[in-house]
Amino acid sequence: MPPVVPGSESSAALLAAIAAGDRDAFSRFYDLTAPMAFGLIRRVLRDPEAAAEVLQEVFWQVWQDASRYDPARGTPEAWLVMRAKTRAIDRLRSIRRRDRTFVAPVDESVAQRREDQAPNPAVVAEDRGLIQTALAQLPEAQRRVIELAFFEGLTQSEIAARLGEPLGTVKTRARLGLDRLRAALGGERLSAI
Amino acid sequence: MNRDEIGELAAAYALGGLEGEDLARFEALLRAGDADAVRAVRDSEDTLVGLAAAAPEPPPPAVKAALMARIAATPATVRPLPRRPRALWPAVLTGAMAAGLAAVVVGWSVSSTYEKRLDALAQSGEQLRAELRSQQAVIAILRDPATQVVALAGLPPAPGARARMMWHAQAGGVFVAAGLPAPPPGKAYQLWAIAGSNAPVSAGVFTVDAAGTGSLSVRPLPGVSTVNAFAVTLEPAGGLPAPSGEMYLLGKS
Repeated sequence: MPPVVPGSESSAALLAAIAAGDRDAFSRFYDLTAPMAFGLIRRVLRDPEAAAEVLQEVFWQVWQDASRYDPARGTPEAWLVMRAKTRAIDRLRSIRRRDRTFVAPVDESVAQRREDQAPNPAVVAEDRGLIQTALAQLPEAQRRVIELAFFEGLTQSEIAARLGEPLGTVKTRARLGLDRLRAALGGERLSAI
Repeated sequence: MNRDEIGELAAAYALGGLEGEDLARFEALLRAGDADAVRAVRDSEDTLVGLAAAAPEPPPPAVKAALMARIAATPATVRPLPRRPRALWPAVLTGAMAAGLAAVVVGWSVSSTYEKRLDALAQSGEQLRAELRSQQAVIAILRDPATQVVALAGLPPAPGARARMMWHAQAGGVFVAAGLPAPPPGKAYQLWAIAGSNAPVSAGVFTVDAAGTGSLSVRPLPGVSTVNAFAVTLEPAGGLPAPSGEMYLLGKS
């Protein structure tokens, strides 16, 4: 798998070609970025089928909306990752809503899935080694805030309520956590070169 | 707003947890093109890209195959076309004499009147064809032995309600309901198809007349073949991607 270099010229050029309707460019952009997007979606949604559906929706949106990408706002990878994350969280929320509505009256097969899909942060945190190493460098309190926001879609006040911490503390931790993560990831990238 | 505060808002924005007044304030800043805010968001987003890129996972090959097939099936004309350039008008205005200009304007307005009438005719023709297609589809469904007939019974919010779903995986289905209360303003009933352990798929939204009767013709649902249960919930008028409201009817096949 080729390494993804954020902001590399090629991904921006590919996105421009996609906007002009170039199917080969779409195919190359997919090969380059889908594993990253899918890793993230799988981290949010444990159900592989739901994750595959979300991935397909995200890339269909890439095909349709490529002309709306604005290079001044960020890299194509960031554009894609933010879309993948938003879609995955939307799906997670709708699964949770559906579980609340449907578990009682429908049938066992739906009810059983509840356990599969209820995010279990302890397990989730274990099963992705590399994300784990980057996140593991953060103090526990900062790591929780980032996980709850990015992988479970909680707002800052929901996180504050869940952790029983003041909102101000949550805000500060999110910021410090991201700063530290940037340093950690930057360090890894440098050491890889 | 100082730099620390911008950093905090940008981190929360990229993580997706910013809300309420903070969100409104920060989005206004971004719209205004505030350089610090834009840079802070880029930094935060790049960090999150790094986080995602650190744990890639090969997607199932079927996803790409489906996408490429879907793209190949889109005619090139469906892609948004650039709007007619406005720069044409100044050239016309400066170039045309008064009479010529008047002729252009009259011609344009006459042709636009006819275009509108043609559009209206085309629309009503299209409506008739659509009605015909849907009635033919209903007849085909009723005649096909592969059609499943599912009876739905009323649940506590409307114990007297009853409904029937005639469902055919390839052709779609016809749904009729009776004995439902009129939905409150802004609400409608939404029909769901539940296949195996998949998430319920919306089969459409309907409302009922004064007698409590309603019907819905359902297109084939992508990815849904044999349906194990149909259910009706009360939802906001436009329907939702996943059920959220109380269930009124349920029937298992």
